[in-house]
Amino acid sequence: MLKPSFNDLIKSSFRSILKNKSRTILTSLGIIIGVTSVILLTSIGNGLKSYVTDQFDALGANSVFISPGKVFNDNGGFSQNSFAAAMVTNFTQKDLNLLNRKLKNSIVMPVNATYADIKSDKAIKKMVEIDGSTEDYGKSNNVVPSEGNGRWFTDEENNKKTPVVVLGYKIAETLFPNSSAVGKKVIIKGKTLKVIGVVDQKGSSFGGPSVDDAVYAPFSIVSDLAGNENINTFVVRAPTKGAIEPIKKEITKIMLERYDKDAFSVFDSSQLLSSINSIISVLTIALTGIAAISLVVGGVGIMNIMLVSVTERTREIGLRKAIGAYPRAILIQFLIEAIILSCFGGLVGVILGSLGALAINSFFPAKITISSVILAFSVSSAVGIIFGVAPARKASKLSPIEALRYE
Amino acid sequence: MIKLSPKNNSNVILELKNITKTYATGTNCFTALDNVNLKIHQGEFVSITGPSGSGKSTLMHIIGLLDNPTSGEVLLNGKDISKLKEHQLAQIRNVTLGFVFQQFNLLAKTSALENVLLPLLYSDVPKHQRQEIGLAFLKKVGLEDKIKNTPAQLSGGQQQRVAIARALVNNPQIVLADEPTGNLDSKSGADIMKFFHQLNEKEGRTIVFVTHDMDLAKQAKRTIVIKDGKVLEGKNA
Repeated sequence: MLKPSFNDLIKSSFRSILKNKSRTILTSLGIIIGVTSVILLTSIGNGLKSYVTDQFDALGANSVFISPGKVFNDNGGFSQNSFAAAMVTNFTQKDLNLLNRKLKNSIVMPVNATYADIKSDKAIKKMVEIDGSTEDYGKSNNVVPSEGNGRWFTDEENNKKTPVVVLGYKIAETLFPNSSAVGKKVIIKGKTLKVIGVVDQKGSSFGGPSVDDAVYAPFSIVSDLAGNENINTFVVRAPTKGAIEPIKKEITKIMLERYDKDAFSVFDSSQLLSSINSIISVLTIALTGIAAISLVVGGVGIMNIMLVSVTERTREIGLRKAIGAYPRAILIQFLIEAIILSCFGGLVGVILGSLGALAINSFFPAKITISSVILAFSVSSAVGIIFGVAPARKASKLSPIEALRYE
Repeated sequence: MIKLSPKNNSNVILELKNITKTYATGTNCFTALDNVNLKIHQGEFVSITGPSGSGKSTLMHIIGLLDNPTSGEVLLNGKDISKLKEHQLAQIRNVTLGFVFQQFNLLAKTSALENVLLPLLYSDVPKHQRQEIGLAFLKKVGLEDKIKNTPAQLSGGQQQRVAIARALVNNPQIVLADEPTGNLDSKSGADIMKFFHQLNEKEGRTIVFVTHDMDLAKQAKRTIVIKDGKVLEGKNA
C-alpha cells in the first residue's frame, strides 16, 4: 500500500508548488514555449497540407498531365533532371491528333507557353508567361472570367487565329490601372491583341507563378508568338475520378509508341499532391524536432529548480524522514511535484499553441490536430518524469540527521 | 509490518550493546561513542547530559534510529534493528518513536493541525480518524484554539507544544527529545518540562531527553552523564 495515499501526495505537492507561484510559472516557461511551438508548427504543417489539397482540387482533380521529361523519380519524389529533359522533348500536333482519336471519353487540351513582354498604351510588363490552349482549358482549370469580367476564348477563335487574349488579374491591374481592361488592346511581340476577359483574383500559391500573373490566348496565337507549333504539355480531363488510372495507362501506352519511356511523364494531380505533401511533412517533422529541443531545455529547467527545491527543503525532508517517511514516499512526492510543473507547462502550452494557431489561421493556413496536441502534452509530461527523477532520488537518499542539521 | 512485541521477563524497551561510533575526519578517526551500554525501561524518564562534543547527540541519534553505529547492537523490544532496511526503520520511527527537536522543525506556512497530522500521513491510521486524533493531541498540549495558526503565528513555547503533539500522535513507545528547551525562554522551557513530567507520571510514557543543562537533567528520574563518548554514571543503567 502506498503511504501516504496518492491523494495526499498530490495535495501536498500542489501546496508546496503554490507557495512559490512566480517560480512555478518561470520554471514551466520552458515547457510552455516548447509545447506552444510544437503545436504551432505542426498546425502550420497540417494547414499547408490541406491548403495544397484544396488548391489542387480547385485546379481540377480529374486532370491527367502529360509532360516532357521525367517529372518523378522512382521513389515518388521529384526527378532531378526533369528540366533538362523538358528542354529536349516537345510534343507535336501529331501527338494531339493521336490522343484525341484514342481517348474517346476525355478532353485533350494542348498547352504551349511562351514568355514575352506585354504592353498597353499606358504601361509595360516584362517577361510574362503566355499560355496557349483551347476553349476547354478555361473551364477545366477554373480560369473562366466571371460575369462582368468578359469571357474565355472559343475554339472558333482558336481555329481562325483571332487575336484575342485573357489577362490574369494582376497583369490587368498593371496594364490598365484605373479602368477595366476588357475591350482594350495590348501589344505582344509587335502583335496587337484584344482583351476579351480578365480572370478573377486567385491569390498566390506560396509565391510561385500564379494565375494572377498569367496571360491566356488561343493555342494558335501562342504558336505564332512563340514561332513554333510545339506543345509543352497535354492536360487530359477524365470524365470521372475513377477513370484517371485507366486513362493514365492508356496514355502511357499511346505515348510509348512514339517516345522513349524517360522522355515523357504521365501523372495526375494526386501524384503531384502526394509529392508536395511529403515535402511539407519532412519540413514539418524537421521544424517540430527543432521545437522539441526546447522541450528538453524546459525539462532541464525543471530539473534545475527541483534540485534547488530539494536543497531548500533539506530540513523538511530530514524531518519527514525522522517522523517516518520512507525513502520512496519522498521520491514520489518530489517526482509528483516535477510532473505537476511539467503538466502545468504542457497545459498552458496547449492552450497558447491552440490560440496561436487559430490566430495564425486568419492569414496563413494552420490546422490544429488532436494528435499533435496529445503528442506535445505527453512528451512534456514525460520530460517532467525523466528530469524529475534525479532531484527526487537525491531527496530520497538524504540522510535524516544530516538533513536535519542542514542550515 | 514488523511486530515489536515487548518481552515479558523484563520491561526493557531499548537496549544498546557495546555501541561504538567513529567518524573519519580526513586522516584522523574521531570516536564519538566508545563502547556504550545502555538500557531504557518501560515508563522511565531519562535524561542524557554531558558537555558539548561529549557524544550525547550522537547517542540520541542512534537511539532514535536516525544513525547507524559503527559497531554494536541496538535492540528494540529485544529485536536487533541493525539488519533492517531503510523503509523498515522509517516505519519504526513512525510508529514506535516520537521525536521532539530543539529547532521544533515544524513545516512553515502549514497550520498547527496539519503539522500534527504529518506522521499520520506515513502511518496506517485510516484517513477519517486522523483529523480527530490530531485535534485531540492539540487539545492535550493546550492549543485547541490555535489549530489553524501557522508556526510563524505561534510563540516558541507554543511551537514546541505543537511539535510534542506531533511526536505523540502515533502513540509511540518512547518519546525522544533533543534539547527540547534549548530554544525557549526559561518560563516556556519550564512549562515544557512540566508537560513531560505529566506525560511520564500520568500516562506512564517513556521519555528520553538530551540536555547540556545539568539542573534540567537532574529533573529526570535517571540521568546518564556522558563524556568523551563514554557513559560515566547512570542509576539503574
